[in-house]
Amino acid sequence: MSGVASEPIIRLENVSRVYDTGKVQVPALLDVDLEVADGEFLAIVGPSGSGKSTMMNILGCLDRPTSGRYILDSNPVDELDDDGLAYLRSRSIGFVFQSYNLLPRTSALENVAAPLLYQGVSRKERLRRAQAALERLGLADRVGHVPSELSGGQQQRVGIARALVTEPALLLADEPTGNLDSHSGAEVLELFKDLHSLGRTIVLITHDLDVAQAADRAVHLRDGRLQDAVPA
Amino acid sequence: MKITDLIGLAFSRLGTGKMRAALTMLGVIIGVASVVALVSVAQGATKGISDRLQSLGTNLLTVSPGFTTTGATRGGFGTATTLTVDDATALAQLDGVQAIAPELTSNKLVIAGTQNETARVVGTTPGYLSVFAYDMWVGSFLNQASVDHNLRVAVIGATTADNLSLTETSVGSTIFIGGLPFNLIGILQPKGGTTSTDDQVLIPLSTARQLFVGSNSVSAIGVSAANQDVISTVSAEITATLEQRHGITTGVDDFSIATQAQLLGTVSGVSDTLTLLLAGIASISLLVGGIGIMNIMLVSVRERTREIGIRKAIGARGRDILSQFLVEALALSLAGGLIGVGLGVVASYGIGVYAGWGFVFNPVTVVVAVLFSLIVGIVFGVWPASQAARLDPVVALRYE
Ligand SMILES: Nc1ncnc2c1ncn2[C@@H]1O[C@H](COP(=O)(O)OP(=O)(O)O)[C@@H](O)[C@H]1O
Ligand SMILES: [Mg+2]
Repeated sequence: MSGVASEPIIRLENVSRVYDTGKVQVPALLDVDLEVADGEFLAIVGPSGSGKSTMMNILGCLDRPTSGRYILDSNPVDELDDDGLAYLRSRSIGFVFQSYNLLPRTSALENVAAPLLYQGVSRKERLRRAQAALERLGLADRVGHVPSELSGGQQQRVGIARALVTEPALLLADEPTGNLDSHSGAEVLELFKDLHSLGRTIVLITHDLDVAQAADRAVHLRDGRLQDAVPA
Repeated sequence: MKITDLIGLAFSRLGTGKMRAALTMLGVIIGVASVVALVSVAQGATKGISDRLQSLGTNLLTVSPGFTTTGATRGGFGTATTLTVDDATALAQLDGVQAIAPELTSNKLVIAGTQNETARVVGTTPGYLSVFAYDMWVGSFLNQASVDHNLRVAVIGATTADNLSLTETSVGSTIFIGGLPFNLIGILQPKGGTTSTDDQVLIPLSTARQLFVGSNSVSAIGVSAANQDVISTVSAEITATLEQRHGITTGVDDFSIATQAQLLGTVSGVSDTLTLLLAGIASISLLVGGIGIMNIMLVSVRERTREIGIRKAIGARGRDILSQFLVEALALSLAGGLIGVGLGVVASYGIGVYAGWGFVFNPVTVVVAVLFSLIVGIVFGVWPASQAARLDPVVALRYE
């Protein structure tokens, strides 16, 4: 995390992302300016096709803006090469996906330990920290289970444990409740609130205004443009 | 990533698809096993042949008639009649010659009691025993008196004795060669092997000439040199002597000289070619095995596109993905290689014991085969692995 409290975790300046399909140019994000402060819980809300996934890819350093500047945790993302992006994903970002995206046929413990592999952490230490992360999420009795043996809610909690195990500066969640029943969904949102109260920075991307209520601020995307920020 | 982590990933992956891993390895297993086994067969066969050649006596020179190295055509081996008994006598006088054994060969029906077979009947002299390095099993060999007096005595090889149901108690009995009675005076020790060296009947040279051939010509002259160092000198002396005796000035000889050293050289030359050929054929199956690995790795990269996307999202760099898939391919090919070596060694042992040259184990072949399978893994694993490494994480994560 940034050592300077006043420095935002995320700063987007005039960011655009235009998909070049060969025939036509599809502008998925246009002139987006956004700041997310350290410790903030932000929801990005918008209907389908508004550019949410594009936003998530850029914030998550999976993709680069076509133009504009993106500073994450004091790093100029738009200037980095592929390895530099991988390094930021490894050190500064924890993803939570709608479809969980756990490694199939791999135990919960190994799934949660996997991000530490790419930080060069020793196996013993990886397993110790994965075990601790799973225990924090109430999954102590599920460490040896493979994803197909877990319910959707449990899988998503494994996914959250995996996102947290590296202690990232930013937790980035894309429709984390989209595949869950309302009960499990509510549990996951409660979990995010708890994490937020412990000081973690969270960006939650959703099409669902009710889900966005969990955050303490929401911004709205429409046709690739950010609407004026309104308090949630 | 640490190499231990990569190996751990590869083995946990192979562990989840054992059947597929086994089938993928099969190509390499068969390839490496056939390289190891075929090379061992080639070397074992060579060893068998050279052992047998060596058992004929390493100081041996064989002079044969009618072999012209520069002539356009020549008759069948030994059909010419240019070598005579007198030539043989002359060769016996040369420096460095220890013993000679002229051979006058014909095939005759041999009868002993109720048994009979058509055997190679060789008229020769007492020198035969030492020139061709035979030992007596029972009885005695032809002596000078039997040659001097055209005696009807015979010594038979071990295989001939078996075929005719003759044992040590048969020495002194009468056998019939070409219808004529001979006194059996001895049986030779077997030399082993399956060639005709143990299937022959030896009678005095003079007797053979008188009863069966009727001319002064011999089919070959065996000459044993005093030691290996003088073989080339003796060979030159023989050439000079025979050229002089036959009045040859053109350099086109009506005889030829073969030494054991030459034969051994020829055999090892043939054997090297044979080994190379067999190894080459077997390498093709190794190549096919490598293509099998590449095929499975390409399928695997496609199937695991989403896994690759996930790994990139949680921090894997391109080279982490590359090494993961490369180590998987290497693990497959190396495991296949090691199993193949095991099977190959077992197969060469079995073949060696069955064929009678024993167990020929060549560590060089094993090391080369294992290295080769590693190279196969790298060569055929790199492309699928780099395909995996180059995947765009956004696209890979969306992949269903
Ligand atoms: N790879 C792509 N190539 C071309 N157009 C794309 C690509 N990805 C998204 N788009 C377009 O960009 C716009 C925003 O898409 P997306 O970010 O997926 O929105 P959302 O996630 O809010 O539904 C859409 O019009 C979509 O068709
Ligand atoms: Mg979307």
